[in-house]
Amino acid sequence: MTPRRLVFTLALLAAAAGRAWAQSCAMCGSSFGENDPVSRAFSWSILFMMAAPYTVVGLIGVFLFFSYRRAGHPRGAVIDLRRASRLLRRSQPVEDSGGDLA
Amino acid sequence: MDAEALAMPRPRPRPRLPREAAPPPVSNARLAMLVVIGAESMLFAGLIGTFLVFRLAAREWPPATLPRLPLAMTAVNTVVLFASLVPLTNALRAVRRDDRTRLVRALALTAALGALFLGVQGAEWVRLVRHGLTLGSGTYGATFYVLIGCHGVHVLVAVTWLAVVALLARRGAFHPAHHAGLEMCAMYWYFVCALWALLFPLVYLY
Repeated sequence: MTPRRLVFTLALLAAAAGRAWAQSCAMCGSSFGENDPVSRAFSWSILFMMAAPYTVVGLIGVFLFFSYRRAGHPRGAVIDLRRASRLLRRSQPVEDSGGDLA
Repeated sequence: MDAEALAMPRPRPRPRLPREAAPPPVSNARLAMLVVIGAESMLFAGLIGTFLVFRLAAREWPPATLPRLPLAMTAVNTVVLFASLVPLTNALRAVRRDDRTRLVRALALTAALGALFLGVQGAEWVRLVRHGLTLGSGTYGATFYVLIGCHGVHVLVAVTWLAVVALLARRGAFHPAHHAGLEMCAMYWYFVCALWALLFPLVYLY
């Protein structure tokens, strides 16, 4: 890392750590005290509400992902067992098995 | 060249019919139900967010002048609600085996357990109102009735749906290859029960 980049990164970190930047808005910053239960209640509620859509969409996404993945497994095994066994036995000519997959 | 052979038309190769497309892993009905459940979840997330604001901001919860919630009876009622998942799962198994008698019996039992849950909830509400906990009893009463009442409405809808599905099953409307209506109803019931698993500890225990 070049010195210029290092200084820039440190300055960015210092700025982000400033207390004034941590306040959400002027109203919340000035209306409640530091350990006011109302501000704490709002904080937890906001966190919950923020997490809810990600959780819901994430769970639906996981369900869809596994549903499609499970459905894809038969397609993955493309060895035609019937045809392969006929080839091994060589007793009769090889016929189309109608697309039956193992 | 043989004239007879020339006269015989050569057999045309049979046109290959396209193979039947495999059904999608998640049917459209299931996908629609997932969207509905997602939207309902967000409704309850909003209500729970409201409850959290009032609950965490309150210095005293529940207020000393208001009655406590009936914990023991509701815990038993919770067991009743969760017990209804067993016959519902059996109903899904029965329809896959094409066992109509067992299917109808299992669906009726699920609906009955749901109705019992609603009945006990209603009786408890009547008792609470008589003891002075109403919708106007401050944020405690308002959040309780709105949150639990909203869930109660969902249970009512689900029980009605289960009863309709049980009637349809009795008429033989569901088969192993065709039971999307039953599956949707089961998904909704699972959702309603999962919601109660979140609401009961939050409202009654926390």
